[in-house]
Amino acid sequence: MLKKLLLLGVISGALAGIASLIYQKVYASSLGAGFTNIAKPVGIMLSSVIGCLIAALGYWLLSKVLKGKTEIVFNLLFAILSFVSILGPFAAKLPLDIETPELFPGLTIPMHFFPALAWFTLRPLFITVNAENK
Amino acid sequence: MAAVFAFSLIQGWKITDKYNISFSSNEAGGIFKTFKGNIVFDEQNLATSNFDVTIDVASINTGNGLQNKHAKSDEWFDAVKYPVIRYTSKKIEKAGNAYQVTGDLEIRGIKKAFTIPFTFQHNGNGATFNGTFNVNRNDFHIGKPGGDVSDMIKVTVAVPVVKQ
Repeated sequence: MLKKLLLLGVISGALAGIASLIYQKVYASSLGAGFTNIAKPVGIMLSSVIGCLIAALGYWLLSKVLKGKTEIVFNLLFAILSFVSILGPFAAKLPLDIETPELFPGLTIPMHFFPALAWFTLRPLFITVNAENK
Repeated sequence: MAAVFAFSLIQGWKITDKYNISFSSNEAGGIFKTFKGNIVFDEQNLATSNFDVTIDVASINTGNGLQNKHAKSDEWFDAVKYPVIRYTSKKIEKAGNAYQVTGDLEIRGIKKAFTIPFTFQHNGNGATFNGTFNVNRNDFHIGKPGGDVSDMIKVTVAVPVVKQ
């Protein structure tokens, strides 16, 4: 199951990264601030994939302990951690040559939810509830 | 006649857009992006030299959107009611190899006599004024005394100018 979870992690991370890049483009074209020097495309893709890989490992470890309740606990944890992580963009101190730091949270906060969203969307294709008990 | 002749030699300086007005403390730091004013300065004629400069309070940038909003609020600079910080010189004198200017610093509608040490360095057709000094924010009722942000705020000013 770990291999399937890692594959799910990579693919959902890549999907979240692509969604974030599209969102960044839309945000930049509509508000004029894409913060591309701070939220670089490579960084966005890497952090999305790494985040989902950590989620995959977390799911695997939880499944060893919780068995049938893994899904409920994991989903709850993933959602809570995603929500807590938005404190980062609010607290971020940008370089002083950035004209509109007020717009930074609006760009990055949705990105913090894309990994969970991608995971929840793709998970049924990779892991069935029965499989986690095996 | 001599006085008129001397006055005509006083050098006026135009502030270039490469200036830097920054502030720092233990918890907060940032810059003011808009600075303007009139600078008349002649090393040989300090008596008629003078500064009258303003900073646009709303141009504050701490690098954090929430902090910017907080800094402009009525608890701190109250940018709506007091949109500018103004410094008007009264006396400029030599202080060792540098200078010091005494004048009125007005923040949040509170005007206080304030002395700023500075250096003046020629650079071709231009020059740069540099100064570093501390402002006690409580003197101008900026924020509440104590708290996370220290009372003394270090201000660094670097103003490149060109001859007018």
